Amino acid sequence: MTVLVAYAPAPEGREALTQGIAEAVLRKADLLVVHVGRGHHGLEAKDLKDIEDRLQAAGQALHLESSVLADPGDAVIQIAQDRNVDMIVIGLRHRSMVGKLILGSTVQRILLDATCPVLAVRADRLN
Amino acid sequence: MLDSAMAALASLADPSLLIMLLIGTVAGLIMGLIPGLGGTGAVAILLPITFGMEPPQALALLIGALAVVHTSDTVSAVLLGAPGSASASVTMLDGYSMAKKGQAARALTLAFLSSMAGGIIGAVGLTLAIPLARPLVLSFASPELFMLTVLGVALAAVLSRGNIIKGISAGLLGLVLGMVGTSPTTAEERFTFGSLFLGDGLSLVAVALGIFGLAEIASRASQRRGQTENITVGGGWGKGIREWLSHWTQVIRGALIGIWAGVLPGVGATAGTWLAYGQAVATAKDKRQFGKGDPRGIVGPESANNSVEAGDLIPTLLFGIPGGVPSAMLLGMLLTYGIQPGPSIITEHLDLMYLIVWSFAIASILGALFCFLSVKQLAKLTKVPFAVLAAGLVAVMLLGSFQEGGQLGDLWVMIILGVFGWLLKSTGFPRAPFLIGFVLAIPLERYYFLTDSLYNGLDWMARPGVLVFLAILILPILWAFIKFIRARRNTNLDDGHRDERPEDDESPLKDSTWSLAAAGIFAAAFAAALISSASFSPEARLVPQLVSIGGLVFSGILLFIEIRTRLRGRTPKAGQTIAEEAEGILATQPAKAGWTLDAKFAFKTFLWMTGFLALTAAFGYLIAVTIFIPAFLLIVARARLKTAVVYTAVLYVVLLALPSLLPIDLPQGWLNTLV
Repeated sequence: MTVLVAYAPAPEGREALTQGIAEAVLRKADLLVVHVGRGHHGLEAKDLKDIEDRLQAAGQALHLESSVLADPGDAVIQIAQDRNVDMIVIGLRHRSMVGKLILGSTVQRILLDATCPVLAVRADRLN
Repeated sequence: MLDSAMAALASLADPSLLIMLLIGTVAGLIMGLIPGLGGTGAVAILLPITFGMEPPQALALLIGALAVVHTSDTVSAVLLGAPGSASASVTMLDGYSMAKKGQAARALTLAFLSSMAGGIIGAVGLTLAIPLARPLVLSFASPELFMLTVLGVALAAVLSRGNIIKGISAGLLGLVLGMVGTSPTTAEERFTFGSLFLGDGLSLVAVALGIFGLAEIASRASQRRGQTENITVGGGWGKGIREWLSHWTQVIRGALIGIWAGVLPGVGATAGTWLAYGQAVATAKDKRQFGKGDPRGIVGPESANNSVEAGDLIPTLLFGIPGGVPSAMLLGMLLTYGIQPGPSIITEHLDLMYLIVWSFAIASILGALFCFLSVKQLAKLTKVPFAVLAAGLVAVMLLGSFQEGGQLGDLWVMIILGVFGWLLKSTGFPRAPFLIGFVLAIPLERYYFLTDSLYNGLDWMARPGVLVFLAILILPILWAFIKFIRARRNTNLDDGHRDERPEDDESPLKDSTWSLAAAGIFAAAFAAALISSASFSPEARLVPQLVSIGGLVFSGILLFIEIRTRLRGRTPKAGQTIAEEAEGILATQPAKAGWTLDAKFAFKTFLWMTGFLALTAAFGYLIAVTIFIPAFLLIVARARLKTAVVYTAVLYVVLLALPSLLPIDLPQGWLNTLV
């Protein structure tokens, strides 16, 4: 079993990561983190160690993976299909209709193209 | 219309045209194999040969080459994983993976057939564009033509990859360089410093071969060893053909994307192929095999990179704004023949348009056919180390750029621009807007003054055509600005990336002392242009001054950004985590890299070129070749003695025979003038 988290250095990405870890522990699944932001600023070594420790306590492993594909949405789908993951966790952000139309939306593409269940979380939940 | 199309096809039965088309196709295929040349190199090297020819023959030769460059560049990408041009690196993703699995023949079949189809569909697109654009083009008067030239430079600057400010600076500097020589309105000399040689303006071939050709050689000459892997093409051609037929929708889709990328100025073959790849991935439900040998990853992009060249020709021929660098040179060539693209080519030279279309389509088919027949031999050529090829390429390029004016000064200009081109390439400046600006400088000025003398004040601005072009001019700039703001605020995380390509490592000296120096050179050049244009008459002064003031603004911004990143890199902020600090160190490291190994090698190569030119100036071209080639091969390329001797002998014989076969002059040295 594997849970894939599409991580980006933003509140939504961090929320997705938190939920992804919880989901992986609950399902007794490995966690696979895919970085979807621009540039190479992934997670810091310290944070990765923390996550790994928490997963290891539950008897699971952490993986990181990247793809040759340029579009992060396509990359997430490709890795998810390739690794046959059971669930993708993504962070949502509110986007206007026009914004999505003109600039496109990675999250929307993942939601529409994914061939496995997708868990979508947002950073500003009601407490 | 159909009549002229058929008449053009009939004219291709003329043996002299057919032979030129064949020669062009073969030359284009060979140049496609040589890394770094691409369509730009192919047109720039062949252009000098056409100087003595009639326009139809010259066009058949150049179009033949341009149509097939992207057919053969796949060979080395698939077989060796070393793409022959930047656009073939897309095919490498899936093609090389297939070859590693022993399916090279399958990958090559898919690629060749798609290239052929892409070329044909591109030619069809060009044909359809003629009647569609005809009423539009015929309604253009000088204000619209002026706006089009502005649009050509501006779009090239904004749409080509990398930083927009860098693109605009490069485009403006190209405009300034294009104004060197006689002013089109007042016939006074500008930026010539009293030199008679500069009075004619800089030669297009010298500029193009310097900025692209020599720069490419210098940055690649350090590759001494060729590929040593054993190449096995394998079988399965028939299966490949059947598989290709099943992907016909991808072929058409790729070709259409390619045409569109070609029509947009500054979006060249590389961006077009990445777009087609992104499209192929996006529309596939099962994305698992992409990057590991998915046929759809080859078919679409290969079809796109050939149709890009046809798409490039649409704005070039119909509107007079080049869609890319090779077509910018084609435009320059047409202008030297007195053929004005735009309204006049549609009314007076329609036969030439259809000749181009037919040549493109026929060359695409011939190119694929030749590739199928000779793939084993072509594969061998890709094994030759680049340094060995570089020696001959330098000799050929210098000879080529001598043909336009027959002056050694052109060659010095070429080497200086070569160094500048290398600087632009390694510090992440797009070079396409530079060359497009250079070609469009004079038309831009001429149309402006025509407009100015025909209309009262700014009345011409109210013409509907002009307003539409203004909108087209502003939209992409606004668009880029919005994207920039979103990136600054980090609100762009969810925006689509499909139009972007993966980061390439083509500009290793970005954010270093080198790019600071490049920004400095830009600012200095614009300042110098502004100062020296103060002495011109008001009419001759206007455009150069406007351009250099704009250039000063943009290069000033660049300089500011460069200095700021330099200062930031030195003072790490307090309270950083270790990882951030480590990243900071990694980020500043290239900033400290002054003389990297590659930079040293590039400069050494330029010194060699200078030496070659000095020898030519002293003893003449033939003697210079017999000294330079073996020396370069033995010392720089570290080739074997036998290779060096045979290489030099063959080149010498060819050069000796060349002037009697083609209208080519060899540069004479100072010694020859004494004797």
